[in-house]
Amino acid sequence: MRTYTLTRGRTKPRHLLGLETVLDAGPGRPGPAQAEECEEILALCRERRRSVTELAGRLRWPVTAVKILVSDLLDADVLVVPVTAPYAASDTDSDASPSTQLLAALSAGLKRKWPDAIAYPQAG
Amino acid sequence: MPSPTPRPGDPAVGLRTPSRPPAGAPTVLKVVIAGGFGAGKTTAVGAVSEITPLSTEEYLTEASADVDSLEGVEAKQTTTVAFDFGRLSLPDAPVPLELFLFGTPGQDRFVDLWYDLSRGAVGAVVLVDTRRLESSFTPVSFFEDIGLPFVVAVNQFDGAHRYHPEQVRAALELPASVPVVTCDARDPNHVAGVLLTLVGHAVKNAAAGPVRPTSTTTLQDA
Repeated sequence: MRTYTLTRGRTKPRHLLGLETVLDAGPGRPGPAQAEECEEILALCRERRRSVTELAGRLRWPVTAVKILVSDLLDADVLVVPVTAPYAASDTDSDASPSTQLLAALSAGLKRKWPDAIAYPQAG
Repeated sequence: MPSPTPRPGDPAVGLRTPSRPPAGAPTVLKVVIAGGFGAGKTTAVGAVSEITPLSTEEYLTEASADVDSLEGVEAKQTTTVAFDFGRLSLPDAPVPLELFLFGTPGQDRFVDLWYDLSRGAVGAVVLVDTRRLESSFTPVSFFEDIGLPFVVAVNQFDGAHRYHPEQVRAALELPASVPVVTCDARDPNHVAGVLLTLVGHAVKNAAAGPVRPTSTTTLQDA
């Protein structure tokens, strides 16, 4: 089983990572003991911030395998979880629904990007 | 005599400039797009995504909520689920935002994945193919049960009979508060319109007070 080889038999990531957790390249470098595949993850995150899901999709590895390798890289500061802007209040509790302020910003952002998009009138 | 200040054309200029501004990263918001096989999820994600939708794989252990475990991979209790990922940035929004779109299959054995994706999400779009209406029942009841705001978008396939949204509402037994809209999943303006409808619905829900799930295990027991 390739995934099993990739993670050297490990089955659980050490860090609690969501499918949407975003990762950025950090100051550390992968050590010689780290899987070659870690370099591929780092190369992708150097180009831009990438989510766990995007890394898995681009590398064609299962999400859990990516989470395990990313955990190693977080421990070595090779990757970091970027700090979002301070007004992202809902980040303090990732389980919480986005604030109405963020929803309003999303609505405005979508309208600016697609001025011809029509929001349907709200029933109820 | 060498100038102490680098010339603008000097390739060394800017080397030390950080590749990204030191300001905080954009806030990430996510939307789940659920629907049956062939309902047009990948198409809808691709219509607004800045990257070609990526197909991502995850292992799910049957009848288990432990998505983070690879245990049992060699045994046969594990199934693989593929879901789509797309993203778009909204740098012109009042707050810099990045929107993640997750397209997920509609079968009820994937509810573990839906829990993961729904946590902290703006809401969900249930994409409906009227030729396979029954494949929308499971995602609809799931999002109702967990209290995640959702809208139903009827993908108007060429050649398929066009039902009025109210007919779809009746068939899916949806309350009047759930928006039911029609769209062409290939058209970015349509998909953006569906997303705007969802955001509007989510704002309305938030104003009405947070809906907390009474039971999160209803579907798994079903």
